[in-house]
Amino acid sequence: MSDLAIPTPHTEAKRERSAIGSLRLVQTGCILVIALVIVSPLFMLLIASLKDDRFQILADMGSFRAFWVSNPTLSNFAEVSNFSGELAYGRYLMNSLFILACTVGAGLIVNSMAGFVLAWGTLRGRALVLSLVIALYVIPQESIIMPLVIMVSRAGMTDTFAVQIVPWVASPLYIFLFYQFFAQLPKELFEAAEMDGASVFRIYRSIFLPLSLPALATVSILMGIESWNQYLWPILVTQTDYARPIAVAIATFFGQDSIYWDRAMAASVLMMIPILALYLAFQRWFVSSFVGSAVKG
Amino acid sequence: MASVSIDQVRKQYGAVPVIHNISMNIEDGEFVTLVGPSGCGKSTLLRMLAGLEDISGGEIRIDGRVVNDVAPKERDIAMVFQSYALYPHMTVAENMGFALKLKGQDRATIEKSVRDAADILALGPLLDRLPKQLSGGQRQRVAMGRAIVRQPQVYLFDEPLSNLDAKLRVTMRAEIKDLHQRLKTTTVYVTHDQIEAMTMADRIVVMRGGNVEQIGRPLELYDRPANTFVATFIGSPAMNLFEGATVNGQFVTDGGVALPMPEGYQGATAAAYGVRPEHLTIADKGVAATVVVVEPTGSETHVLAKLGPADVNLVLRDRIHLQPGQPITLAPDIRRVHLFTAHGIRTN
Repeated sequence: MSDLAIPTPHTEAKRERSAIGSLRLVQTGCILVIALVIVSPLFMLLIASLKDDRFQILADMGSFRAFWVSNPTLSNFAEVSNFSGELAYGRYLMNSLFILACTVGAGLIVNSMAGFVLAWGTLRGRALVLSLVIALYVIPQESIIMPLVIMVSRAGMTDTFAVQIVPWVASPLYIFLFYQFFAQLPKELFEAAEMDGASVFRIYRSIFLPLSLPALATVSILMGIESWNQYLWPILVTQTDYARPIAVAIATFFGQDSIYWDRAMAASVLMMIPILALYLAFQRWFVSSFVGSAVKG
Repeated sequence: MASVSIDQVRKQYGAVPVIHNISMNIEDGEFVTLVGPSGCGKSTLLRMLAGLEDISGGEIRIDGRVVNDVAPKERDIAMVFQSYALYPHMTVAENMGFALKLKGQDRATIEKSVRDAADILALGPLLDRLPKQLSGGQRQRVAMGRAIVRQPQVYLFDEPLSNLDAKLRVTMRAEIKDLHQRLKTTTVYVTHDQIEAMTMADRIVVMRGGNVEQIGRPLELYDRPANTFVATFIGSPAMNLFEGATVNGQFVTDGGVALPMPEGYQGATAAAYGVRPEHLTIADKGVAATVVVVEPTGSETHVLAKLGPADVNLVLRDRIHLQPGQPITLAPDIRRVHLFTAHGIRTN
């Protein structure tokens, strides 16, 4: 065998580098394909919202023309941004925002308080209550929706904002999430505050709540998305424009005789903006919360 | 400042007793250390004083007032925790002023109190920092500052130095002692480190298994331990303890080595013979031993030797040159020999 046939450390390293390079190329390719699958419908939605001919939008679907607009216009947005009249989508958007703000705001207070009491309270039977909370989580929302409709209609709450907020403020999932977060904070913090003269509520408000930013961010985002995407419940409990959220209102574009793709697309883009903003605002803590729970076990 | 009285105090978790009818009095301005091995109940007793644990029986009085059912915040005490328990989202100043803020004091008063405490502990330049921006020693000082600001009647310390490195522990030990000398506030300090207890306390309470083994001044405990547990727990290296019996005015160890009895106790009976490592000397006359390990520390020389089958520790003040395996003759200082019964109770 000649000396040239023996692989030197240099050629070995070169081969290894090239193998790593190929692997990276495949990885990048896969990520790009996944990203395209996720992003392309959103991009198509945005492009369609800038086209003023609803028939053209329909004709373009299924071809690459769905991703291109030659004469972009904001007329669809202007049409659906009214606060009164037939296309009061500005109002529906505001309704949704109001419902989201109230649900998330009240939800953060109620669920964090419940989680705190379960983690640090002196209430007898806490473990039983916690087990019940976890058990409640496995019951699907849809299975309790009809009894809930009957309850709220008998209470005269239909077609109000309250009916879209109150039933969804307390949630077993978020109570448990807060419970888990509070329970892992050191006992000495509670005791030090107790020695300093703080009441249990003050300990919650001044010590534990400010320390729970990651949990607050996570619950805000998850609750916000849940509230924003509510569809079945508002359909059942709203009859007029007064408290109708945008998710339900968009459905009216899809009539029996015709579908207003142009307006539906513009309204959908408008609907996406607030929830995207909410996610971007809390994303840093949201990610850190999930990473934190992963490394801390 | 206040006195603390613990009278027949018991604690049990379910059917398991962890503190057994403990009684002691802590004088006004005194520095008392609770010391003992892990699980002896010293931290539980401190937490009962703080009001963080319920009392199963007996009475605790602070300044004459029974506080069994008084909430921690109303006991007028301050506690420094092992983990410091600083509020991570508050600055040093906010941490120190939190208790005063809860009392409803105005901002100027809080600032002045915080500034005064910061001056005592040299924390002035750190007041705007968050706990995560401080070193271990600085955090410890902030935890003490938080206690000082409140000007309580009693300070409680729960192993406050155990998270620090050895060098910093020595520095902080001196700082806490100096602070007590300046403030003269009644202090109860829990530690498992007998050196800490010896160097800082006016009086030491040695605990084991939920019982008090002995209460006394540090040198009292060192010179006249009440039983074999205290004898071996206090002092480093620990006291040499040989089991055996008294025969014809001598103490004969189980290994057959005859040791001289102290003056006036030749007729006494004993089942254990104790002698501290520094009370053994290498002499011309005495008992034969063999050097096993030599550890020069600079200021003194520690020697592990074999006395019959038993190990024996020596601390020699001189820089003596010894070799492993070398035969030596040991002579105990018979004025400082400790004799114990079969139950481990001191007899001399």
